[in-house]
Amino acid sequence: MADALPALDRNWRSPAVIRLAGLGVTALYAVFIVWVYAAQPRSLREMRGGVAASIGAYRIDAAAFDEGLRYFRTDRFAEARRAFARADPAQRDPRTQYYVAYAFLREGWGRVYADDALYRQAQIALQRALAASPDGVVRVDDPDLALKSSDEMAETLARGLRRDVSDLNPLAMLEKRP
Amino acid sequence: MTADPRRDAGAVWHEAFTLPLVLLSAALLGGLRIDAAGGLAFVPPTLFALVLAVMLIAVLHRCGALDPARLVHPRRTGLANASGVVIVVALGAAAAQMIAALTPEEGLLALVFDVAWLVLIGNTLAARPDRSRLLSSLLVMFGSAFVVKFILLGALYAPDASLTKRVVMALVEGVSLGALAYQPPGPATGYVIFAAGLLFLAGIAALPHGRHPGPADATDPRAGEHAAEWPQVPAHDGVLRRRGPGRPVDRPLVHAPPPS
Repeated sequence: MADALPALDRNWRSPAVIRLAGLGVTALYAVFIVWVYAAQPRSLREMRGGVAASIGAYRIDAAAFDEGLRYFRTDRFAEARRAFARADPAQRDPRTQYYVAYAFLREGWGRVYADDALYRQAQIALQRALAASPDGVVRVDDPDLALKSSDEMAETLARGLRRDVSDLNPLAMLEKRP
Repeated sequence: MTADPRRDAGAVWHEAFTLPLVLLSAALLGGLRIDAAGGLAFVPPTLFALVLAVMLIAVLHRCGALDPARLVHPRRTGLANASGVVIVVALGAAAAQMIAALTPEEGLLALVFDVAWLVLIGNTLAARPDRSRLLSSLLVMFGSAFVVKFILLGALYAPDASLTKRVVMALVEGVSLGALAYQPPGPATGYVIFAAGLLFLAGIAALPHGRHPGPADATDPRAGEHAAEWPQVPAHDGVLRRRGPGRPVDRPLVHAPPPS
């Protein structure tokens, strides 16, 4: 046992082991750099969240999410978005980002016209939700929502932003709120 | 094998950890832009910056600041060659990012900076100074670019009238900026690029160079043969010489006065 320890120490100092460890550390660092340039985190908080999400360690703040959901269901959309932002600071959770997009959609929806600026922000949030989703689609099983998948919401947003003769159809005023 | 295993291990450590991490850090920080609101953006290098980086590596090689045979060589082990390739790639990435970081992003000023880089690096390539002069020259080149972009242009185009802006405007009295568009980077970016520049220049200064091969790799059974390929040449004649692969003829590096 006493002889084995110096031998182990010598092995750890051998050039091959040092080089192998160096290559491993450098490869990890290089992957991190490539990820940073590809993901373009806009803050240190997003960067931390992104790293945590990439190793499966990212968790949203459930209490803040529930609070956001309560605001969302009482049509207090600005407050809901603030709570969702607190719940998902790195914007890496598809479900939370879907609700953020939904908050923009409902706030921007009107019987006579849709608010283009809010709809565009909904599209951006929906893109974040899709980017964070592993299979490229988000499905939320919530009875309070009329649009239960990202595909439905994307189409509703595109229709709201489109300018054509169907905008003049008076029956559109009878449509249900999404 | 060389005589001092501790020194060998240190040099292997330097090649496997220090150089790649320093150069990759310079590459990472070189692309970081921080706006006034604290938002981050990571900007990849332009194509022209990549071309200039390749030219810069050629300059380092021709001036003796980088000896590629010490990083990649058939007589080195596979792991040692892999370490060498990583260093060269990291050096290229860091050089491209540093050049891009010290160049305005767009507009006429970007063109002026690009032409200046091309002329300066091309001139250095042609002049072929020795290593120490090259390092001094690079310090001046990168330092000047930093001062012009982050201090002079940053002050001139700053939204508020800082003391530097007033001093610069007083010095160039009567000169109008006209339609010379420039978007100054956030103040924090300058500090980050300064740190990245220091890392990059330190990495260049620490690149394998010199007159004898790097320490032998204990895993390379032919290390002794390797060492014999780059014999040390005594400087008793007052002329420092370098030998190595691709250098069949000795080239004087530093001329000392002839012995009386």
